[in-house]
Amino acid sequence: MIGIWLGKLVTVLLKSMGRRGTSLPGLIALRLSPHLLRKLGRQVSSCVIVTGTNGKTTTTALIKSMLSADGSAWIVNDEGSNMVQGVATALLHHTSWFGRLAVRRVLLEVDEANVPRIVAELPVTLAVVTNIFRDQLDRYGEVDMTISKLQEGLAQADFPVVLNGDDPLVHALGSKRKDNVSYFGMTAHERTLTSHAQVRDGAFCLTCGNSLTYAFFHYGQMGQYQCNACGFSNPDLTVEATPTARTLSVTTPSGTYHWQTPLRGLYNQYNALAAIAACVQLDVSPSAMERGLASCKPAIGRMEVFPTTPEWVLNLVKNPTGCNSVLQTICEDPSAKRVCICINDHDADGRDVSWLWDVDFELYGPLLRVTRWICGGTRSADMAVRLKYAGVDPTLITVSESLEETHQAAVEGSSDPIYFLCTYTALYPLHQVMERGMHHATDTPRASVS
Amino acid sequence: MRRIRLGHLFPELLNLYADRGNIAAIVQRAAWRGINVQVDAISLGTPIDFDAYDLLLLGGGSDREQEIIGRELNSYRYGLREAVEKGLPVLAICGGYQLIGEYYVTSDGQRVSGLSIVASRTEAGEGRLIGNILIESPWMDNRTIVGFENHGGRTYHDYPPLGMVRTGHGNNGEDGKEGIHYRELIGTYIHGPLLPKNPNLTDAILRSALAYRGLDDTLSPLDDSLELLAHQTMVGRLSNG
Repeated sequence: MIGIWLGKLVTVLLKSMGRRGTSLPGLIALRLSPHLLRKLGRQVSSCVIVTGTNGKTTTTALIKSMLSADGSAWIVNDEGSNMVQGVATALLHHTSWFGRLAVRRVLLEVDEANVPRIVAELPVTLAVVTNIFRDQLDRYGEVDMTISKLQEGLAQADFPVVLNGDDPLVHALGSKRKDNVSYFGMTAHERTLTSHAQVRDGAFCLTCGNSLTYAFFHYGQMGQYQCNACGFSNPDLTVEATPTARTLSVTTPSGTYHWQTPLRGLYNQYNALAAIAACVQLDVSPSAMERGLASCKPAIGRMEVFPTTPEWVLNLVKNPTGCNSVLQTICEDPSAKRVCICINDHDADGRDVSWLWDVDFELYGPLLRVTRWICGGTRSADMAVRLKYAGVDPTLITVSESLEETHQAAVEGSSDPIYFLCTYTALYPLHQVMERGMHHATDTPRASVS
Repeated sequence: MRRIRLGHLFPELLNLYADRGNIAAIVQRAAWRGINVQVDAISLGTPIDFDAYDLLLLGGGSDREQEIIGRELNSYRYGLREAVEKGLPVLAICGGYQLIGEYYVTSDGQRVSGLSIVASRTEAGEGRLIGNILIESPWMDNRTIVGFENHGGRTYHDYPPLGMVRTGHGNNGEDGKEGIHYRELIGTYIHGPLLPKNPNLTDAILRSALAYRGLDDTLSPLDDSLELLAHQTMVGRLSNG
């Protein structure tokens, strides 16, 4: 109980200081009460975890929206609290001072390396894996480490698992399970590619080590694949979809549906598909899924459109595949535009910024119609060098230091729409700067103060 | 027009740490001086005509990929050793740096043979040596080289290093040395990638490739303000703490 009380006290304190408190309360509570999660877990009746390299936050938000539309109440952890201490914090928020959980269903976004511990401490009843890409090289070493953590986590118990069948690395996670695994994926569509040079970690078959051949790609290493040596190839799909720019035609065991997908970009449609596949396992009604999709607002920095003129769109970028997806989506806007990229290198961003060189700026640069590139963040100069060597005219590149300066440089002197890309630790600060900037732009001119 | 040929070895396996950035740096800086660089991707198993190349690049890979390569090296050992002795410029980074040595011992005690171009050895150690790194390179007039290292292997040798570590771990975290410099071969754990914000190093490598081919190795100066801004920003950070 002490752990719970102290954790809740810390939450109250942080709130009074205007801070978000997504991890600290849990961290402190767990220090005092190491079995806190296990204890609270005894009160949990359903526990859904969402993990993978990209799309955890969006997929979790979509599942939450669909469950809400279906009328059930769930505890959901905020973005930024997807490690063990963050999960503990989220549960603490809904725990009374007597230690009772107010809501017994839990939906959690879980960081890949933390999956084994969460599975050990909580009674997981469903797991969703969105994709596996090379993320932050210095946090997890290599993709192999991510895969082994996920395998370790999923092997601990027998709960059903919902996997992205188009991703050969994720598919491999399910090969040891017989009944309690289901797959989602997409058919070929207008945006499939027959070849591309995007960084691929799924290029090798995890079962036998030989290379995979592809009939086509969706993005990254997702597509229609086959191992020439052992025959490993796409699984049968429980949920299959065909996307257009703004819609998804989905076939589930209960029928075929045509739904709007309000979040832009193919990678977001994959997130929608993952959410639908999870909700099929949770027996959510199709109409609730449709309503949940339609009403889900993008989380901060997920193709987040600001109501400004010209339009400002904020995007979180974390790794080459995610950044390529964002650039690909920006290409769908044919107008001239400005692109502002803020790269930080704190621990949560990944201290090694070499991933920028695996982003296809050479390919997208000429296609994007960018009138000015503004570089910000702690590694703004590295970003500028990246652009220069991708063929961008250096006179079109501005390098700034503070986020305020960067935002100022991005908005002044132009009526082109601006796409802001940033790494994780720049996201909330930049969002704040943009919100302040938005209000200034709409204020009537004030009398000057002398 | 001056032309040089760059051989990129085994990119299907050794392309983990943004080696394309190193290639971009060489190709662009050459192009800006009117020099053409032809880049050939050479997959594992393809025979190599070492006389046809003026510069070779060997990049980094995961342990799994390096083990695959380790098994197939016999056919390249003699030709590459001979070429390096004759002065062929080679840039071997991270995994590539480990492979040019005699052997490395993996974390489960397996000894994998390397190319034996130089008498260096690598052993897996406790934990990884990770972080931003700043070195001073004596053969580049003590200029700084800055980047990022991430390696589980500790490399030991008695050759001149690429540079002395000012901030960071280097070859093994013990002797203060980073990389190796033997004839025109450079081996290093520094990526980031290595070349884009170390333009002096890139130009030195370009010059050695031109000289090896018997071409005029003068390089007109370029406007390196962005590269030097990136370089100096990191030097400043790493010198202060």
